[in-house]
Amino acid sequence: MKSIKNLYQEMTFRHKLFYIILAFCFIGSLIFVHNNYSFYNSPIAEVIKTQTIETTEMVDQNNNEDALSTQQIIAVLKNGEEKGREIHLTNEFSQSKALDNKFEAGNELFIKIDEHIEAGANLTGSIEGVKRDKYLVMIAWVFIFVLLAVGRKQGLLSVISLVVNAVILSFALDLYIHNSDLSLILICSVGIVLFTVISLLLVNGLNEKTYAAIIATLLGTFSSLLITYLALLVTGEHGLRYEELQFITRPYKTVFMAGLFIGSLGAVMDVAITMSSSIFGLYEKDNNISVKALIQSGMEIGKDIMGTMTNILFFAYVSGSIPTLILYFKNASPFGYTLSLNLSLELARALAGGIGIVLTIPIGLYTTIFFVNRKRARQ
Amino acid sequence: MNVLVLLAAILFLLMTWIGGKKGIRSFIALFLNFGVIIVTLFFMNVPDMNSVIITLIACVAISCINLFFINEVNRKTKTAFLSTIITTVILVIFITIITYKAMIQGFGEEETEEMGMFSFYIGIDFVKLAVSVIIMSTIGAITDAAMAISSPMREMHYHHPNISRKELFHFGLSIGRDILGTSTNTLFFAFFGGYLALLIWFKDLSYSLGAIVNSKIFSSEMITICCSAIGVTAVIPVTSWITAYFLVKNNEKS
Repeated sequence: MKSIKNLYQEMTFRHKLFYIILAFCFIGSLIFVHNNYSFYNSPIAEVIKTQTIETTEMVDQNNNEDALSTQQIIAVLKNGEEKGREIHLTNEFSQSKALDNKFEAGNELFIKIDEHIEAGANLTGSIEGVKRDKYLVMIAWVFIFVLLAVGRKQGLLSVISLVVNAVILSFALDLYIHNSDLSLILICSVGIVLFTVISLLLVNGLNEKTYAAIIATLLGTFSSLLITYLALLVTGEHGLRYEELQFITRPYKTVFMAGLFIGSLGAVMDVAITMSSSIFGLYEKDNNISVKALIQSGMEIGKDIMGTMTNILFFAYVSGSIPTLILYFKNASPFGYTLSLNLSLELARALAGGIGIVLTIPIGLYTTIFFVNRKRARQ
Repeated sequence: MNVLVLLAAILFLLMTWIGGKKGIRSFIALFLNFGVIIVTLFFMNVPDMNSVIITLIACVAISCINLFFINEVNRKTKTAFLSTIITTVILVIFITIITYKAMIQGFGEEETEEMGMFSFYIGIDFVKLAVSVIIMSTIGAITDAAMAISSPMREMHYHHPNISRKELFHFGLSIGRDILGTSTNTLFFAFFGGYLALLIWFKDLSYSLGAIVNSKIFSSEMITICCSAIGVTAVIPVTSWITAYFLVKNNEKS
């Protein structure tokens, strides 16, 4: 108890204010997502009772065994004119649950109420979707609390950087959608400059390390884009299966290139800042260190980070395809065909990102040395 | 010529040029990891196998490749390995709960339009598969962070052998805080880039905010981003503690 009291006394006013606002936002948002039914136009119902009435084993055309069950659900309407009334729903779910769900008491569902119900009869309806907003808010809070608990100020800055970057991205996409004559690549290039400057300033503060890292990131990203673009041009994009690219409403090649561009940016920034911080660190320890020694140490650091950095991108991209791959395999698609169809774009992204990472090592090194020399000349 | 082959060749040349032998090892590691994913897929195809457990085993193999093969077997990599495994196991429990609750498994209705000819009743538990996907997307970043913390801690202990366990732990945490911003950024942008098409789709078809937030695809992607950031953050105290514990304990013995 005493330590909590001490801790409280040690905190400055700004800290106290910050925690109070944070707690307020936390509680407020939780109350909101648990009571926001009236903000939705479609009817929402909370499941109160479920009963599985029948289960049938089934075998599909590829001899995969599964079981289909039918569930009868009684739910209570949470909004609209019929608020508070019970509604009867029927749900069908499979054991694998690729497209369906097994519901339990407490789940909240978007539903469609059947019209033309006789007076006095029970309401019936069909299930349209699951209400997921409260889980999203909860995980966002866990994310914020974990980052704050471990990272303190840096944690707060990374949360801010994520939010700011997301807003810029959303704004840039709006701009693109409403001005079709502007090219996506151009918008993304401007976006990338903004992302880089904002993220690195937030992560590292206003200093020469950051300036060096910003320049290195931009040079690294644009040169890796150039290499990837040339590689696509030379090979005539042979081997890329754009048909696998989902959610396409726009020219798919530009969307793919823009995604590739943004996707490798974070990793390139990471490499650039690691190079510039460590080289400036060496210089600050020993102001007379030779350029040759700096290059040597910089290359050693670069070798250390190159392998793990390329792996981060590789796993972040390739893992998302696992469910689709399994679905294809289970539907008796040939192995090679499935892999080339579903992984070609992800692998291209991972490889292009890897090229960006590796290129940024020498670029970051020489940019930082340029800044170190400039600083030296001034002193 | 195939684009992927050309890109891989360029990457190989660059890695060899800049990284020398270690660069070649890093390049081979990428292929080994790809191999691990393919083998994992084969096991996931068996209906009675628990894909989360298969994924955990795959994660052990991947950490071995990323830590012991690219670097070498020593105290740094051993503590980083242990920390990776512990963090992943903690994360699995958390991810399982949220995936189960938010029902983000399988495919969204937007994705299934072009898959009409497929049978979706394939007897594989997609909830477990969804958990596996989230863990797999994060494992690279977790091993990276673990290594980035345990390595300078080892140096610190080497230069100051009398440092106390608590001081060493705090040193680890401060290193962790420095890399936190950039590691989370790496993941954010990787996912932003991957989901760009989806974001344009939502905007083009003018989905309402409510429809976006509650859709299966958007939720599952938000949950993946948050879980991976939680993973790279959680590995910081775990690695600091484990490295401090092992380094200082060994010191007391000798």
